[in-house]
Amino acid sequence: MIAARLTADVIVPFVAVMLCLAPVVTRPTVPFGVRVPGERAGAPVIRQERRAYLWRTAAVGACCTVAVVLLQNYGSWWLTRIILLLEVAADLGCYWLARQKITAAKAAEDWYAGHRQIVVTDTTWRTDPPRFPVRWLIPALVVIAVTVVVGTLRYPDLPARLTVAGRGGRQVPKSVVTAFAVVVGQVYVTAVWTGMMLLVYRSRPDIEAADPAASTRRYRRFLAAVTRAVLTLVALVNLSLLLVALRNWQVYRLTGAASALLVLPFVVGLLVLAAVSFRVGQGGSRLPGGAGGRGPAAGTDRDDDRFWKAGLIYVNRDDPALLVGSRFGVGWTFNVANPTAWLVIAAIVAVPAGLIAISAAVGL
Amino acid sequence: MLLSVEPDGPVPIYQQIRDRIVEAIAGGRQPVGSGLPSTRQLAVDLGVNFHTVNKSYDLLRQEGLLRIGRKSGAVVQRDAGSGPPRPDWAQEWAVRLQTLLAEAAAQGLPAEDIIRYCREAIAAFAFPEGQP
Repeated sequence: MIAARLTADVIVPFVAVMLCLAPVVTRPTVPFGVRVPGERAGAPVIRQERRAYLWRTAAVGACCTVAVVLLQNYGSWWLTRIILLLEVAADLGCYWLARQKITAAKAAEDWYAGHRQIVVTDTTWRTDPPRFPVRWLIPALVVIAVTVVVGTLRYPDLPARLTVAGRGGRQVPKSVVTAFAVVVGQVYVTAVWTGMMLLVYRSRPDIEAADPAASTRRYRRFLAAVTRAVLTLVALVNLSLLLVALRNWQVYRLTGAASALLVLPFVVGLLVLAAVSFRVGQGGSRLPGGAGGRGPAAGTDRDDDRFWKAGLIYVNRDDPALLVGSRFGVGWTFNVANPTAWLVIAAIVAVPAGLIAISAAVGL
Repeated sequence: MLLSVEPDGPVPIYQQIRDRIVEAIAGGRQPVGSGLPSTRQLAVDLGVNFHTVNKSYDLLRQEGLLRIGRKSGAVVQRDAGSGPPRPDWAQEWAVRLQTLLAEAAAQGLPAEDIIRYCREAIAAFAFPEGQP
């Protein structure tokens, strides 16, 4: 319980800081999900809205953090989740406000007038594709292997009823399924994240029309750095799950604040991913420029705002892409007009739902 | 090779893709034997329909510039160093060139300027060593 409470106390401020600083890592040419020509990236209205967003979300984050700390002895576990939900909703409201202002200025002053709007690609992305860093998957797999080995060694000595993690420390009858549920979790996390990153490797890079060659190189470095950080996070999540398993298997006992140690690797992984994201920026936009442009640009990045609902969700029927670079923060988002996207989402949801249903059916 | 298209421009996208690839071959950026992305990959990268890219590749295949194998993918088959084209091809091309040059003449561009533009364009092509 204490671990869960501490986790909630950490998550609310963590999400607050991430959302508050998200505009920093976003591409300068898509402030608050509005595509603007390069020379407008520093327009007064954008600078003003960035400042306003920073202050508003900082205030929201401070209020929510105070609320979580003050209310931690009242209400149930769901109270912090409601606060978290309200925090995210309020921050999205701030995002929407900034977006409205910038969209209005862009339309009023016709920022795209006289621009040749183009889409650029670098065919070497496909003819000389980046390699997935398979070796960075080894730590995650080693942790799973260690978990299986320790579990197998401990299994004969376990009592007939096991205390598992969760609300209240439920008791369940000992079986291979209940004892090794954590391993299933580890395999699931590893498979989902590795699968997603493999899809990202097959999806299109974000290439800037203003400097296609250098931005492709930056994107390659960005993808390599983020993939390594994600695989590190997966290894650390698996480590957290291993620590949980060791407790379930009575290798050690943790009481009080010490049980927060279980989530420590996970938190470290999140911080690593956040640090890498801030270092490289979305699509490598914060990396140093490289060789620079070769002569005058052929055009400006196409104004594709109409395909971005609320500046966050990509819906484009004519685009065969499954994943595209997200417009806010660092990462990728599904093209929800692509039916395959729904298949992938369904698979990600169906697997744990199916496992829970099966375990309920066999009476666990 | 960098490939840019203007999705909202007046020229059809399949034509733009075909034209950019022809220019890259002439400019030496896609020599004989060099590969191009598969139609699906290029469609994803440009955010256009798969059939659009298919149409471009099909045009290039008919022109003999591209070879599309099941395993090898799309590979450039001819370039400036591949020797002279079929005689009937040059005749067809001369007809299209006439239209293009006529546009300039009709707009009043002097003959020497037309020739200067032609020279500048040719200077950017990668002809093999020894050709004037």
